[in-house]
Amino acid sequence: MKKIMILVLVAAMMAVMSGCSKKVPDESPSGGGEAGRAPISIELPKPLFEGTPENLTGIENLEPDTKKPRPPFLAPAGVKNLALNKTVTSSEMDPINGTLDMIVDGDKEATEGSVVELGPFEQWVVVDLGAEYELYAIVFWHFHRQPRVYKDVVVQLSSDPEFITDVTTLFNNDMDNSLGLGVGTDMHYIDKAEGKLVDAKGTKARYVKLWSQGNNQNDYSHYIEVEVFGQ
Amino acid sequence: MVYQLNRRQFLRTSTAIGAGLYVSGKALGADAKHKDVINVALLGAGAQGQVLMDAILKKMDPGIRFVAVCDIWEAGNLRKVSRRLKSWEKIGHKGTPYTDYREMLDTEKDLDAVIVATPDFWHSEHTVACLEKGLHVYCEKEMSNTLEGARKMVEARNASGKLLQIGHQRRSNPRYRHCYDKLIQDAGLIGRITTINGQWNRSKASCEDRALSEKETPIDEATLNKYGFKNMHQFLNWRWFKGLGGGPIVDLGSHQIDIYSWFLGCNPKSVIASGGVDYWTGHEWYDTVMAVYEYETAAGPVRAFYQTGTTNSSRGYFESFMGDQGTLTISEDPKVGGVYREGWILEEQWDQWVQGGYVLKPKGAPVFKGDDDAEAVLDPRATVPPDLYTLPVTMNVPYHQPHLMNFFNTIRGTETLNCPAEIGYESAVSVLRVNEAVAQNRRLEFKPEDFHI
Repeated sequence: MKKIMILVLVAAMMAVMSGCSKKVPDESPSGGGEAGRAPISIELPKPLFEGTPENLTGIENLEPDTKKPRPPFLAPAGVKNLALNKTVTSSEMDPINGTLDMIVDGDKEATEGSVVELGPFEQWVVVDLGAEYELYAIVFWHFHRQPRVYKDVVVQLSSDPEFITDVTTLFNNDMDNSLGLGVGTDMHYIDKAEGKLVDAKGTKARYVKLWSQGNNQNDYSHYIEVEVFGQ
Repeated sequence: MVYQLNRRQFLRTSTAIGAGLYVSGKALGADAKHKDVINVALLGAGAQGQVLMDAILKKMDPGIRFVAVCDIWEAGNLRKVSRRLKSWEKIGHKGTPYTDYREMLDTEKDLDAVIVATPDFWHSEHTVACLEKGLHVYCEKEMSNTLEGARKMVEARNASGKLLQIGHQRRSNPRYRHCYDKLIQDAGLIGRITTINGQWNRSKASCEDRALSEKETPIDEATLNKYGFKNMHQFLNWRWFKGLGGGPIVDLGSHQIDIYSWFLGCNPKSVIASGGVDYWTGHEWYDTVMAVYEYETAAGPVRAFYQTGTTNSSRGYFESFMGDQGTLTISEDPKVGGVYREGWILEEQWDQWVQGGYVLKPKGAPVFKGDDDAEAVLDPRATVPPDLYTLPVTMNVPYHQPHLMNFFNTIRGTETLNCPAEIGYESAVSVLRVNEAVAQNRRLEFKPEDFHI
């Protein structure tokens, strides 16, 4: 038992020393039904899967599609979307399609004019909230006109604009660590109109960074909208 | 995540090949170059053109290089796709943009092949022009919206000596190839085929008209008119308009009706059909079509039903071939596919096909699920549901990729086309006549010579 405790302590120290990146413990969602919490209000776009269904076979570690709506996510009453119309920067400041401000413009539709497309290979976008807040949920929509699975999705928080220190990794499904941010253990998932919600667990941060590296259908990264709920 | 070729490995490979080509191109001449590198242009950069381009790019074949793209929507499709190709510049692609295909063909002297993915009514002119320039062509289905247009394409292919592949991509899909080569041709697994049933049903939500968003810049009216479109709405939804496309029976049905003829080894002898603009407004082509073909095969007559609907996606899309010994169901959807053995065929008779890798043995007999009513009893007149044998072949790449690679590998001399122009023509004859049968409200007969040029 003593030996195990020492190993855990050493592992924790190594994690702190290795670039200050930390993975939030996988606890139950903030929406645990605690007193003083209320469902966050997420306005969903129109569901729209069109055209030839895409080939989703051969994707490892794919989350089963329950085909049920996401349960309400509880957070302290009064939290709101802090990302609306904030500044967005990216690994590709001049996207293939669209402009970066569209990622936080409130338009979540999957129509052609609402999608920001970044090039192949690893890409990221950062939303600057303008100040440090307590964050409870990150909700993002890559693309939901067809069922797609985006690759190497990583969501990080920090108050360091360079994401060198004080980095919290909330979600990582980069199973082979091709981004070099650490081996991801989260599952791949099908992008849908309800977007992907990641529990931010009340972490304090100013910047939200989302990574991706193409999808099962093509090698581009797409972002329709990012919402950051906090106070 | 790395699904196929590691990108870093690819970059190293393509750089090495590029360097080698620089030397070999100088030392060995153009013929040597053409064995390894195929310079490609995309003509028509809309949704389907993008699907084809991305399927090629995803293959990461260092010998296939995009060099140019042409589309009349300069601020939309053309801008997007040329910028997409530019983002691949470091591994050898480029996307010089053109709005005039003739200018592209005149300017791009090193082209080897063109992917034609324009609206159906442009296929013939574009394909013929490319072939006359000495280029190989991969043309999306439907080959043309008219048989006259399709005929000109075959004639141009014959005159040019170049390749013309039509985009009936199931013909290169390894699951379909397995069904045809192994289960039908080799094993005759389902016995004598007597009936076929197929469908492609799409939900209302996925059949809504494409609308221009506020953030998109439309094509000016003069340009639209010059290229045969009345307005931007028609440009974005051309499949629904007569003279431009053929409606769902052509867009969707042609893929599957093509498989009917392929698997049966013959073309239909007649068709009756019912259809109409039943649900949508502002459309010219039928949104709902049901057709029945008759075939006269060497083994006997076959009747084949096909339906396409645009209001309800029930059971999606598949083709089901029913023989006197079993039923083969196949779909481009990789989740759908397998063979049912008829109950009177002994399991032992099929063990050889399991052992030979033709099919995978059922994991368990299907369980009869009656309704919850305790009074319900199994009807003794009903046949016990047969066992489902699954297919041992998977398909993990974009649907169009194997067919495109079949085209490129035929240029390289290592394969032969799976859907050359004359096959595409036969399919066009079968499919385009469904709309005629609906309009004339009568049975139409095919003569053998209808399928030949």
